[in-house]
Order: sequence, then C-alpha cells, then structure tokens
Amino acid sequence: MILNTSPTLSSRSGGCTLTGALSVTTHVRDAVSIIHGPKGCAHHNFSLLHATGLDNDLAVIPDLVSSALAESDIVFGGEEALARTILAVCERDVSAVFVLSTCIVDTIGDDVVAVCSREYPVPVIPISTAGFLGGNFQDGVNKALISLAALAEPTQNNGCVNFIGEMNLEYEVEENYAEIARILTLLGLTPGIRFVHNITLDEISELGAAQLNILRDPQLVPVGEYLKDRFGTPFLPSFPTGLSDTLSFIESIAGSCGIDGKRAVGIEQALQAEILADFTDLADSHAVFCGPVSDPMSSRAAQEAADALHIRVGNDQNANALPVHPVVGTAGVKRMLHRWRRSLHA
Amino acid sequence: MPECDNPLWPCAMTGAAACLAGCSGVSVVIHGSSGCYFYPSTLLHAPLHGTFILENEVIFGSEDRLLDVIGSLAGTGNRIAVITTCVPSILGEDVRAMLSPYDVLLVDSPGFSGDEEIGYAKALSLLEPKVDPDAEGINIDGACLLDPFSRGNVQEINRLLRLANVPVRTVLCDDTLKNILHPASSTMGTNADFGSGVGDYLGGTLGLRQVRTTFSRVGDLFPGTDVGPVFAEIERQEERIIYSCDKYLQRFDPPSVAIFSGASYAEFAADTLEQYLDAEIRCIGLRNHGTISRPAEYAGGLSQVRTLIETANPDLVLGSSFERSICRNRAFVGLIPPLRGDVRLAPRPLAGINGTLSFMEDVLNTCMDVKNRISHS
Repeated sequence: MILNTSPTLSSRSGGCTLTGALSVTTHVRDAVSIIHGPKGCAHHNFSLLHATGLDNDLAVIPDLVSSALAESDIVFGGEEALARTILAVCERDVSAVFVLSTCIVDTIGDDVVAVCSREYPVPVIPISTAGFLGGNFQDGVNKALISLAALAEPTQNNGCVNFIGEMNLEYEVEENYAEIARILTLLGLTPGIRFVHNITLDEISELGAAQLNILRDPQLVPVGEYLKDRFGTPFLPSFPTGLSDTLSFIESIAGSCGIDGKRAVGIEQALQAEILADFTDLADSHAVFCGPVSDPMSSRAAQEAADALHIRVGNDQNANALPVHPVVGTAGVKRMLHRWRRSLHA
Repeated sequence: MPECDNPLWPCAMTGAAACLAGCSGVSVVIHGSSGCYFYPSTLLHAPLHGTFILENEVIFGSEDRLLDVIGSLAGTGNRIAVITTCVPSILGEDVRAMLSPYDVLLVDSPGFSGDEEIGYAKALSLLEPKVDPDAEGINIDGACLLDPFSRGNVQEINRLLRLANVPVRTVLCDDTLKNILHPASSTMGTNADFGSGVGDYLGGTLGLRQVRTTFSRVGDLFPGTDVGPVFAEIERQEERIIYSCDKYLQRFDPPSVAIFSGASYAEFAADTLEQYLDAEIRCIGLRNHGTISRPAEYAGGLSQVRTLIETANPDLVLGSSFERSICRNRAFVGLIPPLRGDVRLAPRPLAGINGTLSFMEDVLNTCMDVKNRISHS
C-alpha cells in the first residue's frame, strides 16, 4: 500500500528547509538551535531528529529551543520573543547559537538577522530556513553547511580527507561512513572531520586543513565549491554507488591525493569477486526491480550487480521484486544482495 | 518562561489531521508547505494529501493551487476536508469563499492555535456528528491515530461489548464517515483526552474499576444485554494481576513512579499502580491541559520533564521515548507517543480488561528486569 498519495509529486515535495538545516546544526554538540516559530514546528523536527537518532543508536538528544510564538506574536510580531529566547539560551554553557526561521516568521516579516546582530555573549548565527519560502530540504542542508563553514579559518594542511554533508537522517549513515573510511585506509589515508556529524565547534576549525573533501551527494556541489574557494580544497562530488563506481572512486581519490591506487583497486576487486561468489545461488533468477527511489545511480548499481550474478531483470510484475536502495560502496552492494536473496528465496 | 525547550507534543494542525484521517471516506488535504505535510504523514500512517504551497502562492495567492488539488480529488466519492496550516491562515485569503462551490469541510487549525487535542476537537466538531435515535448499539470514543494504543483500545472494547451482546455503532474517530455522522445515542470512552461529547456518556474503560462501573450502566440501560461474562472475566483476570503483584511485593519494595502523559492515561496509570502495587506516585507531568483529580503539572518541554525526573528520583518512569532517552537506567514503560526505538507490530490496548493486564505486565517485567540487573551488577 502506498501511503503517500499526494496528488502532485513535484519539486513541491522536496521537504522542509528547516528540517534540512536542523539535520546539520543539531550535530554540533556544543551549540543550541533555536527555531523561531510556533512550538509545533520545533516539535515536528525534534520528534523526527530524535527518532532517527534512536535508529542510529545516537545517545545524544538534539538541543532545540522554540521561541514558541503564539497567536498574539503572529499579530504583533515575534522579534522580542526571539530576542528573549536567545538571551535565555546564552545563559547556558553553549559555544554558539543557531537561529533558524520558519515559514510563518518570514510571512509576518520578522527581521531575524537584525535580532541576531545584537550583542550576545556567544556567536549567534542566523540561518534563513523559512520552510517553503527558503527552498527545499537540500537547500536547508547546504545553507547550514555554508553558514558553519564560514566559522572556520584557512589553516595548515594536515593531509586528512574530510567527509562533507553526510545524510544524518539516513538509517545507515554510520555504515556508509565506515565504508568510505575503510576505502581511505586501504589507500593509506587518514579520515578527517565529519562536517557535520556529531562534532564540536572547535573541531570545525580544522575544516580547511584537509587535502581532499568528499561530498556525500552531488547536490552538495555548491558547498564543495564554497569550500574550494575558501580553503582551496579540491572535492569529489559523491560517495560511490555500486561496484565499478567504487573502483573508480578509489582511483579518483588516489589521483586527487597524488598517490598510486593500483594496489588498493586490486584488493577491492578481489573483495568484490569474493562477495559475488557468495551469491551465485541467485544466478538465472527472473526478477523485477522495486524500491522507494529510482535515481539513475542506484538503478545502474543494481543492474550491474544483477548482470554480474546473471539475474534476468525485466518488467514482469509477477516476478520476484528486488528492492533497490541507494547503496554506498562495496559493502552497500553486499547488504543489498542479502535483501535480494531474501526476496528470491521467499 | 515563554520559550520552550524541545517541545514534546504535536500542534493543532496535526491533531485535526489525526481526527479526519481516521474517517474513511474523507480525503484530507493539508493546505500548507511540504514540511507541515510530512510530519502528520509519517506519524499517522494514513493517506494524506497536500497543497505544498510555494513562495509565489504566498505572494500572489493560493486559490489556484488549492482548487487544483481539490479538483484532482473530486470524483473519488470521498468528502474532502482541508486543514489550514500557519501561513495560509494568516494570508488574509478567504479560503471559505474559495471553497464555497465545493462540498468541502474547512478546518482552520494552524499550529500556533494550540496543541493536538484542540485541533482534534475542532475537526470533530466541524464534522457535526448527529445522534441517530434509531441507531442500535453503543459508540466508542477516544480513538486517535496518534495514540499508539488507539487501535488496541478499540479492538478490546469491541471484544467486551460483543461479550455483553452489545453491537458497536460508531468509533470516534476511526470509522466510516457515514457511521461517524450518524452515531448512536450512547458512548463509551477509551481516552477522555479525545472525548467526542457525542451522545450520553456511559463512562470510561481505563482500569478495571471503570470497566466494571461502565458495563454496570450498560446492563442497567440496555435491555437484552448480558454483562455477566464481562464481570466474570474482570474477576478472573484481576485475581491474576493481584497474584503477580503480590509475588513482586514479596521480593521488592513498591516502585516510586513518575508519570508523563495526557491527563486520562496519567490518572489510569496512577490509580492502577497504587491499587495493585502500592506504588508511590512522585510526580505527574501532563502533556495536555486535561482534567485530572491528582496533583499534576504541565510538562510540555524536555527540560521540564528532566527537572521533574531529577527531583522525584523515581524507580519507574512512564512516558514516551523522549522520557526513555533521559531516564537513564530507571525502569521505563511506554504510555504516550512517540514510542520510537521499539518494534511495535501488534495492536496493544490500555483500555478494557486486556489493557490493564498488558499495562501491569509491562510494569512488572521492566521493574523486575531493572532490579535483577542492579542485583547482578
């Protein structure tokens, strides 16, 4: 049963800018995020972030404060409610305060930037995230990352490789990180900071020290470009999706860092062959792809794995349905194949 | 303190969506941004529609967009209900006039107008259920899709009414629109926080005392019913509860308890724990402004909950997964949403006889687990 029966699936359903930005700012552990708007907006997001945190075994509770606008604030303006909230939060032991706006606040015309520009004992950073007025979920992520990157200064190269814009709401965020960290280790490289995942403001000051940034997703290219302009750090546009893409990814990192990647590619090829050998029982099956996403990269990765295992994929809706999800690296493909086995042997 | 740390309860718009999404035969449209749509959509696990308005509709008006979405839903045979979120409700557009050519129910319950219960009550009142004096049976109310115990409650009260040979007429609000619009003249409750005010109220069903009292009334008022089997089952199951609780008290002290929930479930939990386990209720933090006969305070944010738990220092905490996250190694039982981090597949009740059994089972097991863990560490 498809629960989302929205009649118009379009760019309108790109998600809330506020949620995107909060998925970043709440991972700065010594800062507080203020949501300037009604309590409901803060609850929606707190509940979502808490749920995904539980799914990812994160013990830390996101620190959100709502300016709790009521009907009278909507009529007479909410700037003083925001100022009061910022002052109350500044009394805590925090390194910074992020102020995120909501749809209603931009509609009534509150000047959030002006309120944030007043004197406070800690940095108060406004991020314009006015729901649909601010764009979509990804815009919120990008705005928050760029706002946070502005806090770091250029510094000496430490030879590390940074992770940029991990999808903190993704169920397998830790597994995807571990896969890229494994690949870096294979190349003799040291993983740098996770910008922004479970990090402190101090750690963000190391942002400009990396020799390479790896973006989680091509939609983060504007962030990659910003970091390149600010710190001179080159970037790769995405985590790898699928078997051959992982091999190319290793070569790209090696090329960017000026090292020889042949040995690492050889080890990875052997690992992929070993994994495929474990799934030869799936050969000669008939199947049809299914899944919540149909992005070309995931589809290509799934088709490549199916071809390697001689699984015949067609459009016959009576055939076994093979779930296609975005997969990262060789380990992601292996987990997908386990789900395929469950489906084909059902 | 006007600001609120980590608000723990959904807004009026979500409450209105929960009410209307429980009416099969109603297509619910959230008129607002995608962010406002996605939260009730993920929480309610029910089909919802959205207008997903964008900046240009805020500036130039949302009429075309709203009518476009309504037009795409016409012809399904469903009644359409439109719920306005914060921004459309202040744009100054006359949404009612826009919708006048259509048979559409308009619920103006923006998030800033209050909490979940306010939106739920408003949506239900706008449906205007009219008692059908000729309708047979009894209504069940208090069902709300946001409540993880709602489905279990309805199943359990259905079972008990069947045992008493009484048909169920309408479940408010988890039924067909036709039934909801024409309920019977008497109603039995499962959760007073979502009470309907429809028909004569026979009483609640939270806790064995309430079940006994309410079914006595059913026996008195409805000829042809046989509430004997319900009373026999209460007696049988209460003995099992007493046996298990006495066994617990042979080894352990009664638990001290902090309760966080809506007023109705809080009262049930406190009464039940005092009655069977001689528990000490150290504090009650309410998520809503419902009526309760015990000392309680409003605790709508996480910092208030944290302070109450630290001050009360209870053995056992009842609440949501928010409370579980901050109650450290104390025993915990889920009482209100959200209950994340657990796999919950089967409908579990709090109401009726099985509701009390299930609740006490959870309490005893978690308390014993913690005591055993402490004694082995």
